Amino acid sequence: MRGNHFSIILLPTNKCNVNCDYCFEDKTRDSMPLDRLSIVIDKVLDHMERSRVGALTIYWQGGEIMTMPPSWFERAYEMIQTAAAARNKHVAHSLQTNMIGYSSKWNKIIAEMFGNSVGTSMDYPNLHRKMFRGGPDDYTRLWYQNVQAARATGIDLSVIAVANQGTLAVGAERFYSYFVDELSIHDFQVNTPFPGGEGNDVKRSMPLDVQDLARFFIDLTDVWIERGYGQGVRVGPVDELVQQFIGGNACLPCIWQKNCADQFIAIDARGFVAQCDCWVTSYPEYFFGNIFECDNLTDMLKQSPARQQFLARPTVNIQQDCLECDYLSICHGGCPVRTYTFSGTLFEKDPYCHLYKSLFRHVEDVAATIAQGRALDPSWKAPGASCAATFRGASEAALSPVLVQLENVSASAGSRLRELRVLQ
Amino acid sequence: MVDLAYNIPVRMIDEYRDSRVIVRSHSASEIVACLTKEPVKQLMYVQLLSLDCEVDQLIHWGESAPIDIVMQDPAEFPKLYRYSDLLENHPVRVSIPAAPGCYKAVKLAVSLNFGVKLLIGQPDHSLIAELARVLDLYLYRPNVAQPVEYFHSTFLSFYQGVPNALWLVQEDDPAVIRYITDDGEDTVSPRLEGIASRADCGSVLAGYQRALLAKESECESCEFWDNCGGYFKWPEKQYRCDGVKSLFRSIKAGAAELQSQLKSFEKSRGGTRQ
Repeated sequence: MRGNHFSIILLPTNKCNVNCDYCFEDKTRDSMPLDRLSIVIDKVLDHMERSRVGALTIYWQGGEIMTMPPSWFERAYEMIQTAAAARNKHVAHSLQTNMIGYSSKWNKIIAEMFGNSVGTSMDYPNLHRKMFRGGPDDYTRLWYQNVQAARATGIDLSVIAVANQGTLAVGAERFYSYFVDELSIHDFQVNTPFPGGEGNDVKRSMPLDVQDLARFFIDLTDVWIERGYGQGVRVGPVDELVQQFIGGNACLPCIWQKNCADQFIAIDARGFVAQCDCWVTSYPEYFFGNIFECDNLTDMLKQSPARQQFLARPTVNIQQDCLECDYLSICHGGCPVRTYTFSGTLFEKDPYCHLYKSLFRHVEDVAATIAQGRALDPSWKAPGASCAATFRGASEAALSPVLVQLENVSASAGSRLRELRVLQ
Repeated sequence: MVDLAYNIPVRMIDEYRDSRVIVRSHSASEIVACLTKEPVKQLMYVQLLSLDCEVDQLIHWGESAPIDIVMQDPAEFPKLYRYSDLLENHPVRVSIPAAPGCYKAVKLAVSLNFGVKLLIGQPDHSLIAELARVLDLYLYRPNVAQPVEYFHSTFLSFYQGVPNALWLVQEDDPAVIRYITDDGEDTVSPRLEGIASRADCGSVLAGYQRALLAKESECESCEFWDNCGGYFKWPEKQYRCDGVKSLFRSIKAGAAELQSQLKSFEKSRGGTRQ
């Protein structure tokens, strides 16, 4: 938003073809015609020019994306790339779909627009993802059939799983085996559930026991380290956390950004703009505005009282107990939507705080062990100094007669002194 | 011969365009306006003196130019969130007064990945306790990946066994850096206000240090003189250094701990470190 890169979660349709119990979106039958998409893209590109942002990622979601025809995406893709190129902007695309509506007709656009890569969703066990007619088993069967068909054509699939009570009951080992061994999914991420949107019994039973959930994530970390780490298996968010603790510069999920309001917005099929997909479909009081009704997106974002609340959230939370946390730098109070849907306010920390802290602590230990192993490997070479050195390089180097390079201090096992952390 | 650097109000840039300069302003828009007309050859960094300015225009201005955000009061720390996007295109340091509440400000600053410089005077007993917490944060907390000055340079100095003068680390040595007041007067840094007139800026520190080393003074027998050089004896020469010495001791112990661990590690690998 203010930096070099901007993201939008774009919902060209608010329609969905399934009926999952814990969906946080309040669906409508609205879809976005191409001429309206053109207006959206022009206003987003205008905003990027005004903000001097060069790159955009569009995360295509719904509703359910595959309730739209592939031909719509073919025309949308051509239109977006042409408009972006004319303004010297770069646009990347990412697709999240439930795969229930998948057919081979999608292959061409998935290859061209999405780099032959698709994000989908499945839980284990599947208790809450359902068709309008039929239960979770019918859903799982159809999903698996379509996933297999897509993979047979060479499409890469990554999966988002939402933990449920059954997940905790089966445990991390079985959960991991289901995805990696049985489904051959080598890239999956586990999300925590939250009761967004209209209430129902499943949402009222949330949150899961946070202690149990923490245990599950810790166990999953250990299973992945033993069986998948270095073997081409990615388990989010654990893999990025390990990277963070080993060397920094990891790509942590949006729930742990310093302020998601500076990173992205969501736009739905009606043109409403809000913080993310849950907000834009279920909480009109938190809309930033409507892109079809505003003169320009930049002013809307600058002036929106709702967005001001999101921007203010970390500055308020930091004055509570987040400041004392050892993991402030990688969490910043957690996710606004999880906080709001459990607490009714933005201005508290994420209700999964205990889980996050337990997981951070465990992964920190795991990362230390990995780093130690690397340090003991003579063939491993420490990377150069981190960006920590850049300010010194520019100013103190000129002032101080002793510019000591961090690279001169080589890695060691055991110490927790920061010189080692920088190098690892 | 050291090439002098000048800390100037940004509006005076035309007078110092050929010098090494640190430019300062309370306004991001003034910085952009003054520095955009013509490039500055030797811009060391930009000093932003207020946490209440509209910072967006600085994000994409002068990419890679270092920025120093100067806090007037550590209690302003929550505002740092609004400045974190500067890091996308600039190295950024936050200068934080070593005053009650500074631990919170440092904690957030390093958590947002800013470097930190403590603006330190003559800390009293309670402030020393808070600074000890800051030092612990810098030395031992795994998520701190940025330098906290003056601790960082002092740590490296002890580690390498090479003295590193605090006057330089803190950018207060008038032989190296001059402060140009808003009225255009060429003088010493604000911390040293009153120590010298313009005429003797280059030599005043040496004279001041000679006086401190008078027989039986605290400085004469101080084990940290090579690093401190009497930095903490200004402005009040009677200031007792027990507290700041305890901080030096902790930093030295940390450096020794690292050296020891590296030695044992190399020994365990059966080799010597290059």
